[in-house]
This record gives sequence, C-alpha cells and structure tokens, in this order.
Amino acid sequence: MTVGVRLDEAAWGLLHQAMDVYQHDARAVARLRHQVARLEQPLRIAVAGPWRAGKSTVLNALMGEEVAPVEGADGVFTWYEDGPSPHATAYPVGQPPQELTVVKSATGMRVDLGWRVGEVRDIVVRWPTRALRQVTFIDTPALAAVDEQGHAPVLDRVLRDSDAVLFLSRDGRDSDLRVLESARDSVVGQAAPVNVIMVLSRADEVGGGRIDGLLTARQLARRHHRDPRVGALAVNVVACSGAIGLAGRMLSEADFAALATLAGASRAELEAHLLSADRFVRGELPVHLDPEVRAGLLDRFGLFGIRLATTLVRGGFDTRVTLSAELIRRSGLTELRESMTRCFVDRRDTLKARSALAAVEALVRAEPVRGADELVAAIEQILAGAHEFRELRLLVALRNARLGFDAELAAEAQRLVGGDGVGLAARLGVEHEATVQRLWEVAADAQWRWRDRAEDPLLPLAQRRGAEVVVRSCEGMLAELAAGGR
Amino acid sequence: MAGIWLDVLDEIARTCNTHGRGDLLQTVRNKRAQLLDPKLRVLVVGEPNQGKSQLINAIINAPACPVGDGRTTVLPTVVQHAEAASAAVVQAPQVSGRPAAGTSAATLVERTPLALDQVAAGVSGTVGRRPGGGPAYVEIGLPRALLAAGLVLVDTPGTDQAAALGGAAEVAASTRADAVLLVSDSTRELSVAELDMLLHVTRSQPNVVVVQSKTDLVADWRAVAERNRQHLADAGVAAPLIPVSATLRLRAAATDDRDLNAESGFPALIARLQRDLTGKADHLARASVQAVARTVVEQLAAPLRAELATQEAEEQSGPISRLHAAQREVDELRRCSTRWQNTLADEMADLLSDIEYDLRDRTRQILRAVDEAFDTADPLVAWDTFADWLERSLVEAAEANHEWLIQRCDWIARRVAANFNRYGYDVLPPWSMTMPADLGDRLPDLERPRIDRFTTGQKLFTGMKGSYGGMLMFGLATTLAGMPMINPVSVGIGALFGGKSIRDEGKQLLRRRQATVKTAIQRHVDEFFVRIVRDCRDATRQVQRMLRDHFTGLTEELQEAIVQSFRSAKQEADTDVALRDQRQREIRLKMTRLAALYEQSQQLTGARSTPVLLEPRA
Repeated sequence: MTVGVRLDEAAWGLLHQAMDVYQHDARAVARLRHQVARLEQPLRIAVAGPWRAGKSTVLNALMGEEVAPVEGADGVFTWYEDGPSPHATAYPVGQPPQELTVVKSATGMRVDLGWRVGEVRDIVVRWPTRALRQVTFIDTPALAAVDEQGHAPVLDRVLRDSDAVLFLSRDGRDSDLRVLESARDSVVGQAAPVNVIMVLSRADEVGGGRIDGLLTARQLARRHHRDPRVGALAVNVVACSGAIGLAGRMLSEADFAALATLAGASRAELEAHLLSADRFVRGELPVHLDPEVRAGLLDRFGLFGIRLATTLVRGGFDTRVTLSAELIRRSGLTELRESMTRCFVDRRDTLKARSALAAVEALVRAEPVRGADELVAAIEQILAGAHEFRELRLLVALRNARLGFDAELAAEAQRLVGGDGVGLAARLGVEHEATVQRLWEVAADAQWRWRDRAEDPLLPLAQRRGAEVVVRSCEGMLAELAAGGR
Repeated sequence: MAGIWLDVLDEIARTCNTHGRGDLLQTVRNKRAQLLDPKLRVLVVGEPNQGKSQLINAIINAPACPVGDGRTTVLPTVVQHAEAASAAVVQAPQVSGRPAAGTSAATLVERTPLALDQVAAGVSGTVGRRPGGGPAYVEIGLPRALLAAGLVLVDTPGTDQAAALGGAAEVAASTRADAVLLVSDSTRELSVAELDMLLHVTRSQPNVVVVQSKTDLVADWRAVAERNRQHLADAGVAAPLIPVSATLRLRAAATDDRDLNAESGFPALIARLQRDLTGKADHLARASVQAVARTVVEQLAAPLRAELATQEAEEQSGPISRLHAAQREVDELRRCSTRWQNTLADEMADLLSDIEYDLRDRTRQILRAVDEAFDTADPLVAWDTFADWLERSLVEAAEANHEWLIQRCDWIARRVAANFNRYGYDVLPPWSMTMPADLGDRLPDLERPRIDRFTTGQKLFTGMKGSYGGMLMFGLATTLAGMPMINPVSVGIGALFGGKSIRDEGKQLLRRRQATVKTAIQRHVDEFFVRIVRDCRDATRQVQRMLRDHFTGLTEELQEAIVQSFRSAKQEADTDVALRDQRQREIRLKMTRLAALYEQSQQLTGARSTPVLLEPRA
C-alpha cells in the first residue's frame, strides 16, 4: 500500500550503493552482503532486558515450549530459528562451530553448554515450531546499567543484530529507561522508535501477588504508554506475565487435574494454605495432593498463578482448554503477541529496511570513505521521503500529544496511519470481513475529511502537516483498493 | 554507661572546633542531639516496588503508609507516635542557603494537616504540597505501643541509585537515622545497585539491616536468603539479613494467629528494632559514635595528610630551591671570574705577538723597497725625495699598526665583557684609547748619512793617476818605434786611461754611498721598529691593566650582589625549614591526637571484648 518508491526497494538500492562505495573493503562488503541477505530472512526479534527481568520465560511463553535458556550460557546470544529438526550449534570465538546435544523433554528441550563462559558468543538453536516461521527470536544477556561513557555494549549489539526488540523491565523504572535512551544517537535511531515494545514482565508480581495484580499491571502499562518519555522510546507498552502465560500454554492434564482438585476445596480453607509458598508446599491441604505435585505447580505457576488458576476454575473455566486460554489471555501474552504482530510482523519490510539503513549508517560512521557523504544523504533522503517513516513519525508525535489534536482526532489519525495495525480493516476501523465497497467508502470519507483539515488555514502548521500525512495514507489505501487488493 | 560515649562525642566536637571545621561540628552536634533523643529513627530504603511501605505497615500492624502498584511513595513518610491518628504534610521553605541553626529551621517549616483519607494523595505528592517549596515530607501519627516506645519509621521513595538516597529531603538522610532497613524482595537476589546502596549507607550508618521481603511469594526464599548472605559477605557489608513476609504478618494480625506471625519473620525484625531501641543509649550509641569518629577523623586527617604530602613535595621548591639557586650563582660567578681573566691574559699575549709581527712585516716591506731603490738610485741625487717617502711610509706603517692595535683591543674588551653576558652586565670600559695625533713626531729623526762626494779635485787626481800609467806604457812602446815618449798616441792613450779610472772611481764611490745609505736607513728603521714596539707594548699593557681593573671592579660588584642574595636566601631557607618543621610537628601532633581519639572511640564497642582478650596475658 505504498505510493511512490517502495521502502524495501530503496533499502536494497542503498545497500548496493554502499557496496559500490566500499568495493575495496572486503570486510565492509561482506557486512553489506549480510545485510542484503537479512532482507530476505525472517524478522529478528530480540528479547532484551536487565538482569532477572524474565527474558527466557517470556521467550518460552511466546514459543509455547520450554526451550530457553541454554544451561550455563550467561552472556551468550541465543538465536532461536525455525528448522526441520531440533539442533543446536555453538559458535565459539576463533574456533569452528560446535554441535551441542539437544535433549527433548516432555515440555520442550534442554540444551547444555559444556563450555566455559566467555568463549562462546552465539548459540543457534533450530527448533521446529510454528512460532518461528515468521520471526527469529534472540535471547540476550542481561543489560548492564549504562557505563560512564553512556554506552551499553549488550544493547548496542542487540540493536545491531535484531530488527525489533522486546524490552523487558520489571516496572519500567528510570535506570531501565536510561539504558534504552543511550542507544538513540544515530540518525536512523532518532527517526522513530518503531522497533521497541516495552514489556512489563513479571506482571504477576505486581501488588505482592494480589489476585487483581495482572489488571493493575495492565493499568500501569497504559500509564507508562501515555508517559511521553516512554512514548519516545517504545512503540507500545504491554504488561505480560511470562510465567503465567507459559503455564497457560503448557497446561497439562495432570496440572489441570491438580488445580481442579485444589479448586474443589472451599475458598476460605484454601486461602489459608495459599498464604505463602511454604504453607502451600508443606502444610496439610484440605484435599489430597502429593507434595511433589504441589512443588511442581508452584514452580510452574507461582503462588499467584495457583491463586488465579483456582479462582478461574471455580469461576467456570473448568476444562483444560478454557482454563489454558483464560490464563494466556489474563497473562497478557495474547496482547503481547497481538502487539508484536501489529507493530513488528506487519511492518516487517519497514523494520528490515530500517535495520539496513542503520547498518549502512553505522558503517559510514565507523569507516568514512570517499562517497560516504552521499550515502548519508541517501539515508536521510529515504528517511525523509518514505511514507512509512513519515507515518511512524506522525505516530510518535501523536503519542506525545505534540500536535495538539484533540483526543478523538488523534485516535483516528493514529488508526489511519497504522498505529493500531497496518491492515486495511485495522486502519479504517471497520470489521474484518467488510466488503471492498465499504472499505472504499470509509477510506474516501476519511480522505476528504483529512484533506479539509490539511487545507484549513486556521489550523497550526504542525497539525496541517500531520493531516497531510494522514491524507497520503488514505490515498495509499484507495490506491491499493483500486488495484484490487484487500 | 551513657557517659563514656557522650564524653567521646564531646571530645570529637572539641577536636572539630580546634580544627576550625564548623560544618563537622554541626554534624557532630546534630548527632549528639539525635543520640540523646530516646526515639529510634528507622529509615526504610530500597529499590521501587520492594514492599517498603508494606513493611512499615506490617511492623506497626496498621495501614499507615499507602501501598499501591507502581510508584506510590513519592514523599518520604515519617510514621511516629501520636495520641490520635493524624497526618500532615511538612514542607520546608525554599531556602537559598542552609538555615543558620537547627532551631530556626524547625520554626520555619510549614505544616499542612491532612485528612486521614487523603494520606495516600499526600504521600504521592499531589495534595498539601506547595509547588516551588522546599523538600517536603508526610508525617503520620498513630497511637501504637511500639511507636509509643519511641520507634519512628521513615518510609522513602524507592530508588536504585545510592546517590539519590535521601537526596530530596533531609528527613530521609541516612545520617539522621539510627537504623537503616534495606528492603529487597525474595523474587531475586540482591542486585549490584542494592549492594552499592548498602556500601554507600554503611559508610555513614553502621546499623544497617537487610530485610528480604515477600517470602510468601516464592518457595525457595531460603536459598535466596542464603545467597544474599553470601553476597553481603563478599561485598564486605556486615549487615544481618532478616527474611519477612508482610502479607503473613498482616494476615496474622487480622486473624490473631501467633504461628502465622512467627512464620512471617517479623518477630525477629521487631525484636531487633526493640533491642536497638532499648540499647540506643548504649551499644547503638557507641556504634554511632564510633562511626562518627571514623568519618570525622577521616575528614580531619585528610587535609592534614595532604598538607604533609605537599610539604614533602615542596622540599624541592620554595626557599630551599632559591638557596640552591643562589649557591649555584655564586659558583658560576667564581667560574666566570677565572674565565674572563684567562681570556684577557691569553688575548693580550696573542695581541702583542701579532702586533709585533705585523709591524715587522710592514718595516721589512719598507726596507725591501729601500734596497731596491738604492740598488740603482744615487743617494746624492735622490735623497731628499727618498727621505720624504721613507718618513711617510714609516708613519703610515705605524698608524696602520696602531689602528689595528686599537681594533684588537676593542675586540678583546668585548670578548671579555661577553663573559658577563648572563648577568646582563656586559659593560665596556669607558674607552680612551685613540690614535695618538703626534705619532709622526714621535718617530726618530732620520739623519742624513754622510755621503762621500766625488769632488773635482779628486777626479782630477784620479784622472791624472790613471792617465800616467797609460801614457807611460804606450810612450815606452812608441819610443821603440823611434818616437818620443810624449807623443800624440801616448797622450791620447793616457787621456783614455785617465777617463776610465775616473769613471771606475766614480762607480766605486757610488756603490759605497749606496751601501752607506742602506745601512743608515736600516739602522733608522730598526730604531723606528724598537720605538714603535715599545710604544705598542706600553699601550697594550695599559689596556690590559685598564680592562683588568674595570672587570675586576665589575666582578666585585656582582659578587657583592650575589653573595647578598645568597645570604638572604640562606636565611629565608633556614627560617622556612624551621617553620616547616614546626608545622610538621604540629600536624603530627594533631594526627596523633586524632589517632588517640579514634582509638578511644573504637574502644567504645571493643570494650566488651577487649578485657577478654587481655586477661590471659595479664
């Protein structure tokens, strides 16, 4: 749905232009070739965050299986790619790649790294799963706090190697935001924060394990999202309890049976035993449950998860499938996946083009040669000219409420430029199965209204410019509809 | 018991006073007032969302501090005893400088009473605080037995940065607290930031307890506690770790369940706080005083140590180095003096020989010219012109020679003076040597040598003598031919002979005249040479003497100045060394006193163990 030059073509052209400029530098050419190849590969999404933010848990929850982390792989980037059979390869520094043994388990797999820490930089795990068809996940080491020079080496590599980032934070505290801010010093990086979703992980721990903790976490996420400082860093903020989500996705019949047994006890009786983890494992439960089963439940669900699950079972989610679905929904995992689809997967081309631009910019900065200025100019031209980036910039401006649109208009503009998803239906705010005729009508109407706004001399310039971008998006949609697409 | 630590504290205050450190004195005075206050001020710190407010609520069994998700506590909250539940926002006025004294600050603060249902809004900073005012805090009064015993709990906004701790309000400063509780929840081990914060706090506050909250949430909190203790030991933080669960405690209070209360871990924490409260006047105060002594002694000793260090570094600068420089100057002058004297003597000797040679060369040239001239010329004819020429040549030679002498002397004077260049004192003597105007007159007079003239009589006589022999010889020969003795032939021959002998005699006489003149001129020139050389010598000697006198005078002048400065430098250095020694003694004395004070304060807490240690030896 693009009018004018396509962004991915522009990125491809830029990479080849850069290859011409750097033709005498074999290393640079290799890097650029790698970038060209990346344009065709699945989208790379890195899961990054500070120490014990729940990176591997969120990753497992997204894949629906227990595959992360690789045992003993501290400080290693672990790549999860789609593959025909389970397979793991370690890439030690300065040594040939080494196959690792993969042990399949009931709930996923275990990879053990027989290496000493520090020698291995990357582990590539191939794992046949649907979740990896379109994306490659990267499990990253803990982000350290920003050092004196304002650098965060791990985050730099994360941003270099991935197209999009799930930034995990327990509570979105200042020091976490500072780490993320430190990475925004390039032209491409400043253009639009489109590649980061902030995840308030461990949402189940909010409110000290109260039963409404996840709801509160969701409110917190919304509050963060409205915060201009966060809005400048992340395209969306989602509260998600990786642990509950994973437990929901992997809910086995045995677990369900145990939970159902627990739910069978009276609420008051059970409550006393769910006061603390110790009491739950060691106490005398009113119903019979093996201590090992209890420990297993506690390990997978956490105390909060057990409280939530028993409440849900009592509340009518009394089959494994419904309970699983409700747990996943409540954990925020559904929202996270939707958000990822909307912000990352649907914008795959934009994100990849962005990575390519960033890579060329980094190269030009690191090794300025003759003709590099033209490359920088080309990058800026693409950033300024590509309608996708203009839409993204408008989105950021709308989020920061810089333009001064009232809330309703801002919401509509946001929807039209793809803030709620880039599909035609999502942009136009109509039901999924609407006819082409209806889409056309809505799009044309939106175009007229926003054109009026763009040409209204009474409005401030910034608002008129914003409206122009919206008009352009509407025109694009109409063009796509005219071409017969949906 | 209170007396001992109070004495030490007063001693510390006196030391601060003598060191002129008003700031430290104020700190010590504050500490003194704080220690004498029977209340126990407990500061609760930690990262956000660790359950700090909930911990306070659980300690006093009342929902005093608002608990929420996300950031709830924005203003520090002081929970203390009151007859009836009350709350107020206390805000200090915006102060540009520090308040002059603690008393005036207390009267200046602004108290805004809060309704009890507005406490949450007050703590989140949205109610009761005047924008643009100074740091504010919320004060909550509750009628609780534990609080009535003197416990004051201070809740702080969460932060993971040691520097930000208590930065906003003085009420949340760890120095004003008697104990600090660092709250870290059981879902993870202590983070690097938390350990940093602990290290920061323990520097000013010895009484720190790590509270591991939320033990109800996770099953393996014991393992976490164990690892946390290990982390504390590794970081060198001597803080006990108490695992607690506020949820269990509040639940236990609600249901009056003693077992649950015991399980919550709070009895241990409260026992610890109560022990601190009762022991505040004793061991806690001792520990505090010890900590105060440490910081004060460190702060006081640091500048002293720095001064000592700089003094040692300054050995090479200042008056001592000036003395060394003066010493070097004196030596240099001595060397300079020898140098210029040598230069003068050498140059003068050279000059003399050069001048002599030059003059000899010039006279020799004149003599050669004379020789050549009188090889052909007849002194009789040429004398007068010659004498003029000779005199002119000699005068010219003498003048050129003298000219050169003057130049050389001038050059020598400059060379010698160059030795004084570094003093900026290269003064030339007032130059008096000029070309004597009467140089020509001083030459010896050229006496006209006695020259034999060839007189007419002599010619006649010589001619006669020559013609006689010829005429006789040929007369005799012609007689054989029958001619008379005197015939025309013999007469003619005689005349020829006579003429020849006259010519011969004339030549001989000429040669003799020439020789005579040459000898006379040679003698004259020799005489001239000797006289001129003597003149030159005299002049040279005069110059040498004059230069010597001049430069000796100069040297003496310089020496006097340099020695004077050397003397003053020496004097200065001596006084400086004396002063420095005195200052060093003072510093050492102060350091010793500080060490003694430190020792004394250390014994406050060591007193209980020291006798045990000493007994076996005694």
